[in-house]
Amino acid sequence: MDLNIRVAGEAGQGVETMGGSLVDAFAGMGLHVFSTQTYMSRIRGGLNWYDVRIGDRELFSGREGTDLLVALTPEALEHLRGDLTGGGLLLFNGDDGDGVVGIKLEEVARELTGQRVMANTVAAGAVFALLGYPVAELERQIEERFAHKGQEVVEGNRKCVRRGAELVGDRGGRLAAPKPAGAPKGICSGNEAVGLAAATAGVKFASAYPMTPSTGVFTFLAGVADRYGMVVEQAEDEIAAVNMVCGAAYAGVPAMTMTSGGGFALMVEGLALAGMLELPILIFLGQRPGPATGLPTRTAQQDLRFAIHAGHGEFPRAVLAPGTPQQCYDLTRRGLELAHKYQSPVILLSDQYLADMRKNCTGLDESYRPINRYLLEEAPEDYVRYAVTDSGVSPRAAPGSAAFVVVDSDEHAEDGHITEDLEARVRLQDKRMRKQEGLLAEAVAPEWYGPRVAERILICWGSTYGPCREAVGLLNHNEHSIGMLHFSQVWPLEGATIRDLIGRCGPTKGRPKVLVVEANATGQFASLLRQVGAIEECELVLRYDGRPFTGEEIARRVRS
Amino acid sequence: MTKPFYDADIAWCPGCGNFGILRTLDKAVEEAGLDRRSLVLVSGIGQAAKLPHYTRANVFNGLHGRALPAAVGIKLANHKLEVVVTSGDGDMYGEGGNHLLHNLRRNVGVKVFVHNNQVYGLTKGQASPTSDLGFVTKVQPAGVIAPPLNPLAIAIVEDCSFVARSFAGDMEHLREMMVAALRHRGGLALLDILQPCPTFNHLNTYQWYRERVKRIGDSHDPYDRAAALELARKWGDEIPIGVLYRSDRPSFESLLPVLKKGTLVEQYGGEGL
Repeated sequence: MDLNIRVAGEAGQGVETMGGSLVDAFAGMGLHVFSTQTYMSRIRGGLNWYDVRIGDRELFSGREGTDLLVALTPEALEHLRGDLTGGGLLLFNGDDGDGVVGIKLEEVARELTGQRVMANTVAAGAVFALLGYPVAELERQIEERFAHKGQEVVEGNRKCVRRGAELVGDRGGRLAAPKPAGAPKGICSGNEAVGLAAATAGVKFASAYPMTPSTGVFTFLAGVADRYGMVVEQAEDEIAAVNMVCGAAYAGVPAMTMTSGGGFALMVEGLALAGMLELPILIFLGQRPGPATGLPTRTAQQDLRFAIHAGHGEFPRAVLAPGTPQQCYDLTRRGLELAHKYQSPVILLSDQYLADMRKNCTGLDESYRPINRYLLEEAPEDYVRYAVTDSGVSPRAAPGSAAFVVVDSDEHAEDGHITEDLEARVRLQDKRMRKQEGLLAEAVAPEWYGPRVAERILICWGSTYGPCREAVGLLNHNEHSIGMLHFSQVWPLEGATIRDLIGRCGPTKGRPKVLVVEANATGQFASLLRQVGAIEECELVLRYDGRPFTGEEIARRVRS
Repeated sequence: MTKPFYDADIAWCPGCGNFGILRTLDKAVEEAGLDRRSLVLVSGIGQAAKLPHYTRANVFNGLHGRALPAAVGIKLANHKLEVVVTSGDGDMYGEGGNHLLHNLRRNVGVKVFVHNNQVYGLTKGQASPTSDLGFVTKVQPAGVIAPPLNPLAIAIVEDCSFVARSFAGDMEHLREMMVAALRHRGGLALLDILQPCPTFNHLNTYQWYRERVKRIGDSHDPYDRAAALELARKWGDEIPIGVLYRSDRPSFESLLPVLKKGTLVEQYGGEGL
C-alpha cells in the first residue's frame, strides 16, 4: 500500500520546503517515505515538483502516477493533472473547482501569521486532512521542531496546520492511505549521506567549485566543518580544487573534492597527478546528462566510462557507485579507506536522482571515527617515497617528519626525483599498476536481490538500485522469474567471478537472460561487462531523457 | 644541516640564471634559519620548476601552472610547514594565471618565487606572458604584439601582502629579498626574479638587465600603495628592484578558527595513523 503526493509550482515558491516538510512529517509518523525532485535550471518561475511517496513497507523508487497533487500554480494544475490516478485528489492554491479542493494557501498564512512563508504549514495541514491522518500528530511534530524558536512560532504554525485541515473539512479521508509501519524516523538524502560519511571518516580538507548536483555535498561539509574540524574552501575553478586536494593529501590529511561531468573534465589532469604521485584523494562525481552543459538539473549515468578511463597514461583507481543513501554513507567511507590503503584516487559516482533522493535512514553514525591513513609514524632518514614492493604500495610518510618526502609528476625513481632512466620507468610503472590487483581483490561484491535462482536477471549499477528492486517485486508478483544484480563497485571488475555468479543465479539448464538497466544511451556498463568477459548477449533497458527510472517503467519494459 | 646536493644531474643550460637562483635560495634558507625538514618546495613545470630536485627539501613537483593550488592545499593541511613555490613566468603568469589572481586574494602564507626570464625555455623559445613587445620567436615571427603582463602591478592592486622584485645577476640583492620573503609572516609573498636565458632570450640579456635594474631607495614606503604601483609600472630604461609593497592584511589561515587549535594534520587524531 503506497501513495504518491506531488507538490508542484514555480521555482522560488517553496516547492522544496513544502515537499521537505511533508517528508519529515510522514517519517515522523513512522511511515516509509521516498522522495525525488524534478526541477528546471532556473531560480524563479518554470515548473518544479517534489514527489513524496509514502508506504507501509520500505520504498526504493519514485512512482509515475500521482494520488494527491498539490498545485501551487494554475500551470502546475493544468500540466500535471493528467498524471492523477483514478480517485486521486487535487489540492489547488486558489479557488475550489471541479474535483479540486481550493485553498488560497498564502492568503490564509498571511491572515493567520502575517507571513506568506507559512503557506507550507497550511498545505501540510490540508494534506494530512485529505489523507485522513490525525492533524494532532502534525501539531506534536511542529511543537518538537519549533520549540527552540519560542512559543509564538509554535502557535503560529499550529494555527496554520489547523486552518489547513479545517478548510479541507469533510472532503478528507477519501483516499486509502498507508498506515504507519514503524519506519525509521531519520531521513537523509544521498548527498547528505556522502557528506556525513566524509566528515566522520576524517576528511579534513575539501575544495570544490559549485556544480549541480554535487553542491549538496559541498554545502553539507561547509555546514559541519567546525564540528568535525575541517577546512572547506571554494576554489576558483575545478582545476584548483583538485590540485589543492592533492596538496592536502600529500601533507597527510584525507581530502576530497566534488563536481559534475563538466567540472570533472577539468579535473582530469589532476586525477592523473594523483595517480602518478600516488595520492589518496576522493572525487565525488554527481552525474547529469551531457555532453557539455547538457541538462544541468536532471539525472543520468553517462560518465561511467569517463570516470574509469579519465586521465592520461595508465594508473590504478577504484570507481564506486552507491545506489541508496545508506550505500552512499558506507561507500564514501570505503572509498576513503581504499584511497589510503592503495594510495590511489577513488571516484564516487552519484547522479542527480541519488543526490536529491530522500529516504528513511536508520541512524547513520555521526561520531568521528577517522580512518587509517596508513602513514609511517617515523620515517627513517634514508626514507624514499616510492620503495618498490610486492603489493605496489610503498610506505608513505608526510612532510614535516625526519625524512624528506619527494613527489614528482615526472616519471621518477624510488626517491621521487625526476628520472629518464627507462628501466626505472618500467619498474615504477609496474609498481603502481600492481596496486590494481589489491583493489580488485577487495572489490565490493555485487548484491543479489530476488529468488535464489531466476530465469532473467536485471543488471544495474549505482542509482538504478531502487527502481530495479521495485521492478523485481512487481514482476515476480505476476509470476515472472526475475532477480537483480546490483554493482556498487564498477571498477575494477573481475569478469570470471561475475560470470560464475550470474551462472549460479540462473536456471539449472542454460544461462539466465541478462538485461542491463542504465540511464544512458549506449549501455556503458553492459559494454564494460562484455569487455571483462562477464557477459555475452544482453538486452539493454536504457533511459536518457534526464528523468529517473521508476520500478513501474522497468517492469513494463521487461514485460514487453 | 644537510648539504644541498648539487651533484644531481642538473638539466639547465650553462650560464642559466637558475644556477644563481638555486645557490642563493640555499643561502637564504640558511640565513632565514629554516628547518629543511619543514620546508616544502612546490613547483609546476618548466625550467624553474626543476629547481626543487637540486636541493634538499620536501618536494611536490606537480602539474604545469598548478603549483600554487597544490601549495595552498599543503599549507592549509599543515600550516607549520614553510611552503615555497618555485615557478617560471609561463608556469605562474600564463598557465597558472587564474590561480595567482585568486591566491593573491586569499593571501595564504606561501612564498612564490617566479623565475621570470620572459621566454619559454622548456618548449624552446616561444614568447611568455612577460615577453617584451616586438620579441621575435618562431611562433611570433613578426614579434610579440600583445603588451607584457605586469604581475607586480596586479599583485599590488590585489593588495598582496608582500611584493618584491630582484635580479638573478645580483645575488646579494636576491638573497636579501628571499630572506625578507621567507621571514614574511602576513600571508602570500610574491618575489619576481628577473632571470636571463642565454639560450632563448637574446634581447633581455645579463647586460641588458644590468644596465636597467635600479635598487629601490630607502625613501620608498612599501606601505604606500600608490607609490608602489608607480614603481611597478616602471619598465624599460629603469627597472626598480627591491620590496615594492607590503600590506598588513591578515593571512588566510589566521582567519580560519579551525586552525587555531593546531594544524589539520595535528587535529586528525583517532586510532592508528
